[in-house]
Order: sequence, then C-alpha cells, then structure tokens
Amino acid sequence: MTIIIAILQAVLLVAAAPLASGVARKIRAKMHSRTGTSVLQDYYDLAKLWRRCEVREGGSGLVSRIAPPVFLGSFALIAAGLPLAMQACPIPLLGDIITVLYLMALPRFIFSLAAIDSAGSYTAIGGIRELLVGVLVEPSLMLVLFVMAVAAGSTNLGIMTQAVGTLTAYPFVAVVVAGVACAMACYIEMGKLPFDLAEAEQEIQEGPLAAYSGPSLAMLKLGVSVKQLVVASLFVAVFLPFGAAQAPDAGAVLIGFLLYAVKVTAVLLVAAVIENSVMRVRYKYLGRYTWFVVGIASLSLVFLVIGI
Amino acid sequence: MFGYPLVNVLGACLIITSMMVVLARTGRAAACLYSLQSLVLVGVLASLGAVTGSGELYTWSATAFATKVVLVPAILLFTLKKIGGEVPVDLPPKLNPMKSVALVAVEVFVCFVAVSGIDLPTAAAVKPTLAVSLAHFFIGLTCIVIQRSIFKQIFGYCLMENGSHVTLALLAPQAPELVEIGVATDAIFAVVILAVLVARMARYARTLNADDLCELKG
Repeated sequence: MTIIIAILQAVLLVAAAPLASGVARKIRAKMHSRTGTSVLQDYYDLAKLWRRCEVREGGSGLVSRIAPPVFLGSFALIAAGLPLAMQACPIPLLGDIITVLYLMALPRFIFSLAAIDSAGSYTAIGGIRELLVGVLVEPSLMLVLFVMAVAAGSTNLGIMTQAVGTLTAYPFVAVVVAGVACAMACYIEMGKLPFDLAEAEQEIQEGPLAAYSGPSLAMLKLGVSVKQLVVASLFVAVFLPFGAAQAPDAGAVLIGFLLYAVKVTAVLLVAAVIENSVMRVRYKYLGRYTWFVVGIASLSLVFLVIGI
Repeated sequence: MFGYPLVNVLGACLIITSMMVVLARTGRAAACLYSLQSLVLVGVLASLGAVTGSGELYTWSATAFATKVVLVPAILLFTLKKIGGEVPVDLPPKLNPMKSVALVAVEVFVCFVAVSGIDLPTAAAVKPTLAVSLAHFFIGLTCIVIQRSIFKQIFGYCLMENGSHVTLALLAPQAPELVEIGVATDAIFAVVILAVLVARMARYARTLNADDLCELKG
C-alpha cells in the first residue's frame, strides 16, 4: 500500500509540476497586465522539445549526458519519500532528512559539473552562480531540519510530521521560528525572484541549460519545475501537516492528499505573488538576504537549546 | 501550555519583538513595535502573577501597561512629530540589519550559558526567560552601538530597561509595588529627558547622526 502511495506521489508531482509553473507564469502575466500563455504552455513546450533531435556540444562528456536524468530523477525520488498525504513517510528509507538533503545537493553538484564540462564560457558562470545559491541557502535549511530533528526526536520526516501534526514537537517557539526560516530557505531554493528566474535558461542564471537541447532540455526544464513543487511540498509536509492521514487508510489518504493539494497550491500562489512584487537582485548582494535566513535559523537553534 | 511554559513562550516572543524593534526601518515603526513588545512584557508579568499567585505582579502589569505600552511610545512618537520635518530621522544602521539577527541569536545563547550556572530556587522553572531578560541588556546595547540615529538609540535604552523589569519580576515576584514604581518612573523620566535632548540636538545641530555629533562642547 505505502509503496503504491510513494509511486503515485512521484508520478503525480512530476505530472503536475508543469501545470504549477504554467499557473505561476499565468499569474505573472496577469500581474503585468498581459494575457499570457495558456496554463498548459509548459506541457506544449516539453512535448515540442521531446520531439526535437538532440544536439551535443563538441567535447562534452559523460557528465553532461547524465546530468538531465540525474536532475529529474533525484527530485522524483525525493517526491516519492515525502510524507504528503500521510503523517508518515511512504518509504521510510527515503524520508530521512540526511537522504533528502543529499538528494537535493546531488543535482546541484551534477549541474555544476555539467557547467564546467560544457565548452561554453557562459555555462560555467551560470554553474558558479547556481553553486553560490546552494552554499548560501543549504546551511540554513540544514540548520532548520536539524532543529526539527531534535524537536521531534528523529531525523525521519514522517516522525517530524507526526510531531508537528499532533502538536507534540517540544520547544514550541523554536519550531515556529524554524518554520519561518524554512519558508524563507525553501522560497530561495525554489529559484524564484529576487534570487533567480527559473525559466531564464537563455540567460546567465541557468547557464548550463544553454548547452542542452531536445529531450535533455525537456528533462531539465521539467526537473526545474519538479524542484519547485518538491521544495514547496517539503515545507508543507514538515510544517503544515494538519489534515494528513494518521494511518494508511484509503479514504483518509485521499482526503490527506486533497488537503495537501490545497495547501501546496496556497503556498505556490503566495510564492508567485511575492515573486512578482520584487525585482531581481544582483548576485553580489545575494548574501544580504541569505544572512537574514541564517540569522532566523540560528535563532530557532538557540530557542531549541534554551528550551522555549 | 499554561503556567511556566506560557511564561517561557512569552519570553521568546520578547526576543522576537525586540529584534523587530532593532530591525525597524523607520522611527515610527520602531515606536509601534516597542509598544507591542511592552504588551508582551505585560503578558509576561501577568502570567507570572498567575503562576506565582503574587498579587503585586498584577499591579506591576497594570502600571507597565500604562507607562510602557502607552506613555513611552506616545512620548517617542510625539518627539518624532516635532523633529520629523526638520532633519532626516531614519538613518541606516552601521551593521547590516540581516547580520544583527545572527548577533542577537549569539547573544541569547551566551546569556543562556551564563544563566545555566545560576542556581536559584525562584528561577528554576523560568531559566529560559531569565536568559531572555539578561539578553535584553545586550540587545539594547547592540541597538545603541549599531544605530546611527540618536533617536533610535533611545530604543536601545528602553530595551535594556524592559530586560531589567523582567529580571526583577522573575527573581523577586513578591517585591512590593514601591520597587516597581521606581523602575517604571525611571523609564518615563529617562525617556522624557532623552527625547528632549534629541529634539534640542536636532534643532541645534540639524542632524541626528551620532557620527556627526562629536563636537558637543559648551
């Protein structure tokens, strides 16, 4: 039963990711007073790219070739392990925070390697920027999840979800402050403005994407949308688990999944509105914002140590 | 959730609100946030009163409400109105506000380490709040050191004062009202004097920047 839920989760998240990014694009268009493209535009783009033939840069090697499937696969794997519909991980092995953090770091690592592997000079700069975001954000996310692990008494996301859902996670204020820090860190991880523009593959930000074409580019584009959805789901799963099923019972799981869909839609809508009300920041000044997240995350750690 | 845990949760809210006072961009926002912080302080005093069964603490919370939630922010807002049009009040702080959050977190931790060595029967259950109240001295000091505007430096003093208020309530809940009156009037008069000084300096030197005010002779 739980294995089926895990597979369904992964398939549904991957299938719904282009829709989520399509809706975000539509909101942006509406806020810019444009009509905008259809919400299904991302599916059309992916279908078109999938039919195109693949062109490789001369001199690029194995890393460039395996980067797209690894990128998409890692996030699909995280999606399978998250406690979305239930207050427990469908596959406990995949629900450990250390596994999740490494699975989030792996695509970034491969992405940066691919950037160096490519012959273009733009791609390398894009790769460096991608790494910079990782270096600035990941410590906060680790700190937040560490606080949650101590508060819930386990590094398993399912047990954390249960502890938060039943309001038994002990230092109450520490958990709330960690939730605020996690929301900020997840927002940056989602690659939204003012930090990044996820669909700007022709620009310097998503530099490595410039070297791909055809099915590889489709996989990476899909991977970027899945990443947004997975990161938002991680936040929803850990800090807003209310309404998720307590036991693997079909009806409760269905209700839990519907509630999860509502919650994640709300989170994505808020993120889309924030994204459109700010402008892109220069990479030089990125540290200013991430310091704030580090500060809040360390405050939650201090509250945890103090015990409030 | 009630009893001592509530006191500790409100103590954590004190830290969060005082951080917001330090980070506030405008003097007006800082005054409003200070009022909010004092409201949390009133909550701490009242909940401590309920936990320890001390009638004095209820009186304390009532006087704290009148002086700190209403009077002190009102004086500060009035000063701001007086000097607002003449000189720029909202100067950027010396330290990046984002870094000051991390600094506050470090201060709270250091205070907790310091407090964990204290072994008092009255403070055994509220040690976290005791650490918070001690940390307020350092947060106030941080506010005074990092702020350029002398108007915002007043808030540093007010935060330190709030810290001493909580410490007193935690360690001596049965202390007579007279002691509290001392603390409360102290705050009012100090803020009035500081506000008058700020207003006069603004009128005389045409600036509130502490870096420019280094020639106040005679």
